[in-house]
Amino acid sequence: MKSNSIGIAFLFLLVLLSLISAKYGAVEISHQEIWNAFTHSLQGTEINNLNERIFIQIRLPRVIMGAFVGAALAVGGVLMQALFRNPIVEPGLVGTSSGAAFGAALYFVLGATLKLNLGEWTLPLAACIGGIVSTTFVFYLSQSKKSNKSSVVSLLLTGIAINALFLSGVGFLSYIARDPQARSITFWNLGTLSGSYWEALYFVIGVTVVCLLLSLRYAKQLNALMLGEQEAQLLGVSIRQLKIKVLLINVIMVSVATAFVGVIGFVGLIVPHLLRMLHGSDNRFLIWAGAMLGALVLTASDLAARLLLSPAELPIGIVTSIIGVPIFIVLLRRTNYFF
Amino acid sequence: MVTIENVTYEIKGKLLVKDVSAHFEKGKINLILGPNGAGKSTLIKLISGELKPTQGNVLIEKLNLQQISLKELAKFRAVLSQSLELSFPLNVHEVVLMGRYPHFEGKAKAIDLEICEKSMELFDVKEMKNRNYLTLSGGEKQRVQFARVFAQIWQLSEGKSRLLLLDEPLTFLDLFYQYNLMKKIRAFINSNPDLTVIGVVHDINIAAKFSDSIMLLKDSKIFDFGYPNNVLTEKNIFEVFKVAIKNCFEIE
Amino acid sequence: MKNNIIIFLLAIQLTSCGRFGNQDEKKNNEERIVCISKQYSEIIFALGAQENIVAVDLSSTYPTEIKQLPTIGYHRALSTETILSMKPTLILHDNNIGPEHVVNQLEELEIPMKTFGDYLPTIDGTDSLIREMGSYFRKEKEAALLCKKLKTDMEKALAETKKYSKTPKVLIIHFGRASNVYLVMTQKSTAAKMLEWAGGVMAVNDKRGMKQLSPEVVAAANPDIILLTDFGYDRLSNGNEIEKLPGISSTKAFRNNHIFRIEEHDLVYLGPRTGENVLLIQKLIHPQ
Repeated sequence: MKSNSIGIAFLFLLVLLSLISAKYGAVEISHQEIWNAFTHSLQGTEINNLNERIFIQIRLPRVIMGAFVGAALAVGGVLMQALFRNPIVEPGLVGTSSGAAFGAALYFVLGATLKLNLGEWTLPLAACIGGIVSTTFVFYLSQSKKSNKSSVVSLLLTGIAINALFLSGVGFLSYIARDPQARSITFWNLGTLSGSYWEALYFVIGVTVVCLLLSLRYAKQLNALMLGEQEAQLLGVSIRQLKIKVLLINVIMVSVATAFVGVIGFVGLIVPHLLRMLHGSDNRFLIWAGAMLGALVLTASDLAARLLLSPAELPIGIVTSIIGVPIFIVLLRRTNYFF
Repeated sequence: MVTIENVTYEIKGKLLVKDVSAHFEKGKINLILGPNGAGKSTLIKLISGELKPTQGNVLIEKLNLQQISLKELAKFRAVLSQSLELSFPLNVHEVVLMGRYPHFEGKAKAIDLEICEKSMELFDVKEMKNRNYLTLSGGEKQRVQFARVFAQIWQLSEGKSRLLLLDEPLTFLDLFYQYNLMKKIRAFINSNPDLTVIGVVHDINIAAKFSDSIMLLKDSKIFDFGYPNNVLTEKNIFEVFKVAIKNCFEIE
Repeated sequence: MKNNIIIFLLAIQLTSCGRFGNQDEKKNNEERIVCISKQYSEIIFALGAQENIVAVDLSSTYPTEIKQLPTIGYHRALSTETILSMKPTLILHDNNIGPEHVVNQLEELEIPMKTFGDYLPTIDGTDSLIREMGSYFRKEKEAALLCKKLKTDMEKALAETKKYSKTPKVLIIHFGRASNVYLVMTQKSTAAKMLEWAGGVMAVNDKRGMKQLSPEVVAAANPDIILLTDFGYDRLSNGNEIEKLPGISSTKAFRNNHIFRIEEHDLVYLGPRTGENVLLIQKLIHPQ
């Protein structure tokens, strides 16, 4: 299939799915109400109808948030897999998610005591700092002193170790936490889009779009990296710089997304695989198509999370795992997929 | 074209290249021979810029190698090696196109695609251009990699003389393809006189047949350097390789 | 570890989906109340004020007919839309709800929310709560009757307690559904207070109300009696798995076969039935 037709197909599906996702949920909202909600907000008049306000303040930001977080996680997966030349890597592996989770847990447990309060922004900020600290930690520790090169293996192993450290930190915090706090930690660790609000959304959109455009700039260099570090360097790629820049993009994009919606697994792993089967591994294709398919997958998962047990809601992390694992296993068993 | 001045390379207290100076001329195939551990590969890596000399300088057209950025360097210097690695599935023509990466930003230009076609034709991989690289046999992969490296320096870029380095590319090829590759390099240099080839091979017969000059390395130092006939003497070979031979470097 | 939580939470969701599927039979009520507090729910039903209650949280399990109502889920894992789909005109909660963003969203949408007075977990405090709720729902008479019953039951229970010479050490094990682990209640918990009234003593002390079950905790407690709350007991009673909990098999309680089941809603909060429940606990912890 041509990459252009894939793009058009994805775009069509994404728009369609977003519309369905915005229309259906626990609360029934009629087409008329949706229309009114749009016209009223565009005119800037105050909305009095409760359903219209539910649509504008809760449903819509959630749907859009899902799309952008999905895009961020999937592109994060593409970048990490390309950088580590390993198909089983996802953003979590270099410590980003566990660090963000630790930052969030720290906020849940100590936030009140430390009088850290920036309103709604405290949790995202804590998670973001956690993600950046842990990833920097991983990158710094994996640099061997003797040679200038940082090998992928040492980076991955350090990542595993730091992940374990931060996850046990989360465990410790939930252990010392009082009951309600411990529950908040659990809840956040499973991920949820239900807390989306417009200010957060603007922030996530901004960061995701900028990081996406930046990562497109490094797509060619990441392609060259498939040949191995030596060969890539001979093609003019500065490996060290590429690693730092791509890791930085990934950390910022993934921790910001994680900060607002919690830990959502499997999107970063599954999406790049699906695309590789569809149209090969050219990172120039994987990055933009990954953003679209990631958005698609998370929008679909969120819709499922809301409708499966309606009016109750499943944590979205559960849905992505339930959808992701079988797909992943089927993919691995296909014979025409080479690794 | 390439001048190395008193180059020494030391790692972890071990001297791999000891005070080597030489000049390699444009339009010539310069091959380096020596026993295992003599420092051949290290010397190639010092010239390619992958390693930095501990002491001394590598000059390319009188410009210090350290002052040329990786990106600039990639426009006129390519290295043929035995690496077949590709960590994700890609089609053959996508792999070959990577050779043109240093030459374009964003999308490949028509000239880049044309060069890829020609290079694939040269190495007989054109008919497999849409196949998955990872499904190819070892020999086919090797040819695709050669096509990629040749695409990188297929034509003059910004008037800079080109440099082709051989980092033991013949190791895993059978006899036919070893000669085939060397013939292609010879033909390529004949039609591109700005090119300099410096390389490491193991086979003394091939070195004798295809080189314009030969450098013999022993114990990290130059043992002899000059025309093949003058360097590849029975005496030299015995002293460097500890093997007694009768002169028999004739293959058609 | 995370996977276990996921699988378990999913299991809860699925096993409780019977309650999620409950039909809303009060579609035409003008006043629609969602009650997110197991204590409030019980008192409302005891007052006979349940007419306008359209949905409750998952932990509101008493009286039995409350399970016919639709549920809006676990009180610490709420979803705004799930609550709003009940079209509430009022949300009652006891400040123990979450996550935080759901509370914020409800406030922003100006959904009316009410919390009754924060009284001490004592009989007097419970008395005050019942009376406040009684006057709120205009059921003052019913409230007075409930309070009177609570008082007489308590007096009876306390009189009974004096008859017992022994004060058994009791270990109460509760399966924490949110964290997916077995917990023991401590002397800080509400259950400890009821135990004390019933003439027993809680075997475990800690700064917090719950503590994770471990062999050390059990060994240090060496209880005469072990009580398991309903969910945890039912989970283990098939196949005698209770003895496999860490440290249990070496306790006096296990050797004397003094391990009993108790309903969670009889133990974890105070309400109009607290006197009754103390009498019930009394019987359990003073066997023979």
